[in-house]
Amino acid sequence: MRNLVTLVAFLFLGLLAGTALVTLTGAAKPRFQELEESLTCQCGCGLTVHSCNHLQCDSALPLRAEIREQMALGKSKAQILAHFVSKYGEKILSSPTTTGFNLTAWIMPFALVFLGGVFVLVTLVRWSGRRPAVTPAADQSGHPHEASPYEKILERELKDFDNS
Amino acid sequence: MDIGSLALALGLVLAVYAVVMSLVGVLRRRRDLIASAEHASYAVWGLTVIAVAHLLQLLVTHDFNVEYVASYSSSTLPLNYTITALWGGQQGSLLFWLLILTSITAVVLLQNRESNRDLMPYVTAVLMVISVFFLLMLNFITPPFQRLAFTPAEGRDLNPLLQNYWMQIHPPSLYLGYVGCAVPFAFAMAALITGKLGDIWIRTTRRWTLFAWFFLTLGNLFGAEWAYLVLGWGGYWAWDPVENAAFMPWLTCTALLHSVMIQEKKNMLKVWNMVLVILTFLLTIFGTFLTRSGVISSVHSFTESGLGPFFMGFLALMSAISIGLLIWRLPMLKSENELDSLISRESAFLFNNLVLVGIAFAVFWGTVFPVISEAVRGVKITVGPPFFNKVNAPLGLMLLFLTGVGPLIAWRRAGWKSIQRNLVPPLAVGLLSGVLLILGGMRSYWALISFPTGVFVLAGIVMEYYRGVRARQAVMGENPLRALIRLIGKNRRRYGGYIIHVGVVMAFFAITGTSLFKQEKQITLSEGQSFSMGGYTLQYQGIEQQSTPHIDYLRADVAVLENGKKIDTLKPEKRFYKKPQQPTTEVAIRSTLGADLYMVLGSFDQDTKLATLQVYINPLVSFLWYGGLVMAFGTAIVIWPGGVKSRQPAYVSRRVGERVVAD
Repeated sequence: MRNLVTLVAFLFLGLLAGTALVTLTGAAKPRFQELEESLTCQCGCGLTVHSCNHLQCDSALPLRAEIREQMALGKSKAQILAHFVSKYGEKILSSPTTTGFNLTAWIMPFALVFLGGVFVLVTLVRWSGRRPAVTPAADQSGHPHEASPYEKILERELKDFDNS
Repeated sequence: MDIGSLALALGLVLAVYAVVMSLVGVLRRRRDLIASAEHASYAVWGLTVIAVAHLLQLLVTHDFNVEYVASYSSSTLPLNYTITALWGGQQGSLLFWLLILTSITAVVLLQNRESNRDLMPYVTAVLMVISVFFLLMLNFITPPFQRLAFTPAEGRDLNPLLQNYWMQIHPPSLYLGYVGCAVPFAFAMAALITGKLGDIWIRTTRRWTLFAWFFLTLGNLFGAEWAYLVLGWGGYWAWDPVENAAFMPWLTCTALLHSVMIQEKKNMLKVWNMVLVILTFLLTIFGTFLTRSGVISSVHSFTESGLGPFFMGFLALMSAISIGLLIWRLPMLKSENELDSLISRESAFLFNNLVLVGIAFAVFWGTVFPVISEAVRGVKITVGPPFFNKVNAPLGLMLLFLTGVGPLIAWRRAGWKSIQRNLVPPLAVGLLSGVLLILGGMRSYWALISFPTGVFVLAGIVMEYYRGVRARQAVMGENPLRALIRLIGKNRRRYGGYIIHVGVVMAFFAITGTSLFKQEKQITLSEGQSFSMGGYTLQYQGIEQQSTPHIDYLRADVAVLENGKKIDTLKPEKRFYKKPQQPTTEVAIRSTLGADLYMVLGSFDQDTKLATLQVYINPLVSFLWYGGLVMAFGTAIVIWPGGVKSRQPAYVSRRVGERVVAD
């Protein structure tokens, strides 16, 4: 049983670690599209500058041109985004930054799931701990305990019930 | 006064009467008052039907003197969309909600006219309180039968974006789901008030929870299909507040469906189930509120629609009452919780709940964060798709993994041997599929996690079915097909549930395919020019123009060739609706199981005769729609009455004076 818990824990942690790794390094994408997806189209569609499909969109088109301009100036991604923020305000970004109060946006869901996970684990251990020991002990009459025919029937019926 | 307005006014009076009489009747033990309250509830339904019929009549006869009719229809609007206009505007949609609520209330009353008599007065009261709220809105804040001082010659017409098949079925489906969640809530409140906190209220409402989940699932998918076909940006989900509002109750409802099984089997998690029922209902009200108030775009538009503060007030009231009741009954709800083993299906279900509620929280948090941020920092920010995708992807994959593990772990105690027997084969198949994908050239990290996990889930389900059929064959000597049918028939919850899981895996495959492997291109062409994409050669062959009194059409003709042979023609359109003046896009799609070839006519220049097309390849997107069908099919199996009556274990005490409702 302990092996299984270790195995599952490993799988879980492996998944988490890999996830973190990929999120941090990020997949390779043409930089223009990456920048397009980091900005929100201001025409009211609610989509990123990349996704907005209004052909004569008076927000997405100028913004795309502006992205190309900034890229041509040789700026880094962070510098380009900073330029847009200073010009249009923080709302131009399509997701919150990871600084200051905005960090809570990212952290809260994972913190909740992690804390929740700990809480669930602790509760499960507590609840399974309350169960009397599985190995049968001597019962009160002093006889060594062996599964009486009734207990066997009970076990079988419980199994049936559970499997229905 | 219009019949409709009269009906709504009378409905309000009777609904209040029903609430009061139910409570007085149960407190004074007056059966006649309780019966009167139920009759009043039926009457409220009847009056709502009258109001709806009247509004429909006004719409169909184009009575533009009525403000609602003038705002949302026109004389050239086709009949089916004229009927859809019933829920196309604010007031009509609230009336439509009320119709569904009162109808479902009537059904619940009918279902329970001879059972749960100790709970029913409170159930009636709760459902009628919700009706009272909507009736107050319809009578005083958003009356549908308001007349104008003059009669316009023509109506402003239904928004062209809504003139679409999917938008006809999306709101009704979603409302059925939302209102369905009120039934378990009402019974939960009744259970809390009466102190009858055993299984009865859960067993009674199990089918309603499934019913609600069924329609929430379909409602969400119909909305996604609409976005995909009509909005024309190549995707189906943008984490818009409105979309999130419908998604959150679906998540908590899914959690509820699973955790009630634990209460039924082991009499545990009573508090948590109460929390989930209450949360799901509150989220449906919150969702209705979000779609109507524009609160997320800015705190300042909160009061503009007029409805915002009232919904918030109602939400606050229902929260206070339900949480108050829960806290009051907390001592009675806490049970001696015993788990045979840490490794058991109970544990898997708890983690399933954790992840589902975690995703719901992530969606909620992302949706309201702009408001919070503005309140805290005074700065407006946007929380867009990249946030939701980044946060929900790992959580979603955890959920997918649990979907595979849960069914393969036994209840109560899963011994090491049974784990080996049950988990190892599907895990092996999953890993094998991952290896094959890598050998096949796939290098995307996320895809290499998602697809093999999905395969693991599917392998587990196939194994369960296989073993079940083989067992029946061994014992009953049936042929495989009969064994399969009997297997499902005698255990609908389990095997129907597995089918639903298959649908879920299909949805995950679709999401993985479209998120990671989508291709897109924008290209401007003259007649006869062609380009290649996604294994196809696409040739632009010209433009058609057409005009009706209602719409001007611009239709492009694009030939689809594969290996030099023409296999299809796509005709993406641009439409110009005349009233109101609005352009829309009609997407052209060539759908195969492997991918959708999705084409939009961006523009056509009358002078240069150049057409601009936007083309997307969406891999596996059909799996989402078919997955939805599979989920619906599975739910139908689970919910279907009949099958082996779930046996009552002898140690559940039967209460005097109550009929235990059979499953």
